Amino acid sequence: MENFDDKDIATLLRLKRHEQPPPGYFDNFLHEFHRRQRAELLRQPVWRIALQRAQDYMFQLNVPALTSYPVAAAAILVCAAVLSLKVYQAPDAQTVATAVVQQPGAIAVSSPANAAWNLSSSPISARDIGSMPVRTSSDNMQTHRLATPPRYVLDSTPVSYEPASFRF
Amino acid sequence: MEQPRSDEDQQLVARTQEGDVAAFDQLVVKYTPRLYGLVYNMTSNHEDTNDLLQDVFSKAYKSIRGFRGKSSFYTWIHSIAVNMTLNFLKKRGRRFNLSLDDVDASVHNDKEFLELTQTSSPVREADLSELQVRLNEAMMKLSDEHRAVVTMFHIQGMPHAEISKILRVSEGTVRSRLFYANRQLQNYLDEFRKNPVS
Repeated sequence: MENFDDKDIATLLRLKRHEQPPPGYFDNFLHEFHRRQRAELLRQPVWRIALQRAQDYMFQLNVPALTSYPVAAAAILVCAAVLSLKVYQAPDAQTVATAVVQQPGAIAVSSPANAAWNLSSSPISARDIGSMPVRTSSDNMQTHRLATPPRYVLDSTPVSYEPASFRF
Repeated sequence: MEQPRSDEDQQLVARTQEGDVAAFDQLVVKYTPRLYGLVYNMTSNHEDTNDLLQDVFSKAYKSIRGFRGKSSFYTWIHSIAVNMTLNFLKKRGRRFNLSLDDVDASVHNDKEFLELTQTSSPVREADLSELQVRLNEAMMKLSDEHRAVVTMFHIQGMPHAEISKILRVSEGTVRSRLFYANRQLQNYLDEFRKNPVS
């Protein structure tokens, strides 16, 4: 009885090319592929879809170097940082204080030299506002109309501490 | 098997990278039969082959923007298919069911089939179907890496150089794996021939 040699093994293996899937399998394969792609797309989170769209856009601009995931992620982080700075940026206190002093009818902000508004000086009840400018109602309305950002006035006495003579 | 024309593939890849989905569909239609044979003969399971093939093309579509053309698309897509199949086989382990495709009727027109069954050889037609079953069993006894090179060389007809590019090993490694795998298959079939009832 002859043993199998390399040629016999090779021939037997080549005959395995004739093992084929059921008829119509290859014709239907592409349709099945599209169906799975659609199903997978629907399962993706929104951020991933947005990232892919951004990558497609960058690729259309012929900047394939920017379509890599790390670069795209870095770009998104930079945009998010810029946006957050703009939204949450607090107004500069000194700038607000200066603006308040310059506006007529605004609540005055004491300068360090003004002892009447100095918290370390005489008690509140002894303080004399005197001819200190007071805020008028028209100023309030103007402020609301202009919708200016909130101004946090420093070194001023809270309204509740004002003596009875304080008038609007 | 002939390697397809790479310039035609290059055009389809370029169009796909520009967003032409129909171009990728053409690549899918072109490579499905070839890759099916590769994956099927590594897994010996039609259902697993179908799922894997879908995953292979899905991964290829997602990664095609990064394809720079350093290798041919043929090599690239085959690398994806082999690697994904090897990973799958590692996870599947030894627990599997053979789910073999039927031998197509075209085998009766195969020159080698006719030589085997009509000339004096260790194989006759009556034994051939049994031998094919035993051969499939013998293939599954090989390691995943040895089965991969046997599939690519003998069944897919790829040259050693192409197999080494796909597997990212040297040609010497491809040849030594083939040699070892052939010996294993010979021994198993000889054993079957001596002890047919097993």
